[in-house]
Amino acid sequence: MRARQYLNGCDYLMLGFDYELRRHGFAGNTCQIVLELASALPTGALEERLNALVTTYPVLRARPCGLILPQWKLPRRAAAGPSVRVHRDEPELAQRLFNEPLATTRGELARFDLIQRDGGRMALVFTWAHALMDAPSAEHLLALIGRKELPFAAPHSPPPARTRLGLLERFKRAWKNLYQIDQFSRAAPRSPGPRYPKAPARLQYRVETFSAAETERVRGNGVHFCGILGDAQYHAAVAVLELHQLHQRLGCPSASYVLPVPVGLRPKGTVEPLFGNEVGMLMLQFLPEHLDSIAHAVTMLKMQTEQAMRAGLLESGRMLSDLFRFLPLPAYMSVLKRGLRGEICSLFYGDTAAVNPLLTTFLGVPIENFTHVAAVTPSPGLGVIFYYFRGQLRVTVLHLSTVLNEAEVAEFAAGLRARLLNP
Amino acid sequence: MIEAQEIEAELLGFLHREVFAPSVAVTPDTDLIAAGFDSMSLVRVLLFVEMTYGLWIPEREINSETLRNLRALATTVSRLLVQKSTG
Repeated sequence: MRARQYLNGCDYLMLGFDYELRRHGFAGNTCQIVLELASALPTGALEERLNALVTTYPVLRARPCGLILPQWKLPRRAAAGPSVRVHRDEPELAQRLFNEPLATTRGELARFDLIQRDGGRMALVFTWAHALMDAPSAEHLLALIGRKELPFAAPHSPPPARTRLGLLERFKRAWKNLYQIDQFSRAAPRSPGPRYPKAPARLQYRVETFSAAETERVRGNGVHFCGILGDAQYHAAVAVLELHQLHQRLGCPSASYVLPVPVGLRPKGTVEPLFGNEVGMLMLQFLPEHLDSIAHAVTMLKMQTEQAMRAGLLESGRMLSDLFRFLPLPAYMSVLKRGLRGEICSLFYGDTAAVNPLLTTFLGVPIENFTHVAAVTPSPGLGVIFYYFRGQLRVTVLHLSTVLNEAEVAEFAAGLRARLLNP
Repeated sequence: MIEAQEIEAELLGFLHREVFAPSVAVTPDTDLIAAGFDSMSLVRVLLFVEMTYGLWIPEREINSETLRNLRALATTVSRLLVQKSTG
């Protein structure tokens, strides 16, 4: 068994965000999935599954290390499974748990919390370090834990082929992305919150749930404005439009809005590698004049996506993030933020599409609801995640309490909902 | 003139190489969307068609019928190539 596992460029970026969040007093770059279950889980059975899980995947107990290239250092001896804690229900408990840091340097990369709800129901809160894996992997891992009939050992298939290029050629291609950011900085974005929040603050979120009829309506709008398969593009365009409205309401004009659009790099039909962030980023920029209508925003989004793909920015971005692994985290974050004059982007955006179809039951207990949560790094400290559970659209709106207050985020979320339904 | 079957074979090779995992059995009759084909996969295919045949498939041609499967997509590309050469 290998004692170490290298982080890829995207994993290291997530570790960089973890550094940045902890530096500002937040829990770190963690993600969370909350499963609302119809009845209580047998805690012993869950612990048994988790102990078996760590035997197969010791990386769950690894520690980040590496002087030249970042790595996960795997435990030498058999380690116990991630901790399982049981709590009595109280208001906003899941949010509080999200703000409890993981002890990553001591090998705590994942944590499970069970909340006893009224009427014998239970919520399972799975919190993990984003540097370890992305959302599709986490969903698949939960499905493996929750289905005893599924083997833990993932079927092995060869990793996706990467371009074999010399260092000079990789630098040249990676330079394209730096040049793009340099172009963006001519109209640099500005976020409404403080760049360096001083007071300890919390990561907060709220979830907008759409009924089946509302989801159909939003899908119809997506097809109308973006064509078939265009629902994610429609969500992104609406999110940027609503962000522009938010800036106007707050009296905080921004010269542009930069949206990082994550693109899954796994070949369709696979979840491997299970531990790793297999995601590339397309950086898109919208000027305020692009945001006078949904049609205009969609046109700009599509045009920029095609141009970026044609220019190979997805592949070159991956090369750039791989090269950045040679930088220490403080230097990496400094370089990253300098590109857009102190901002990372204008809005963190994710669209994880339909929840893994295996997640209908967990250890035999039906799953009634599902929530995706992810940390948002300052600055901007604001983000949205779109996903479908049982065919119904959910939008998680994430923010740091230093960026927006409760009323402002409620207005932003309501505006997002209204615009998705009535563009 | 490029035959639809030839285009189909090219597209099938591209999907196997660049979009789907080797374990996914994609045939000309596979329902692409059900197999996980998404908007970024579509952009990749559009760029591949442009690079290979010098043709950008217009947005009005991208519909559920065209993306029903690979055969339908290849037929559309073939038809548009004929229109381009005669028009």
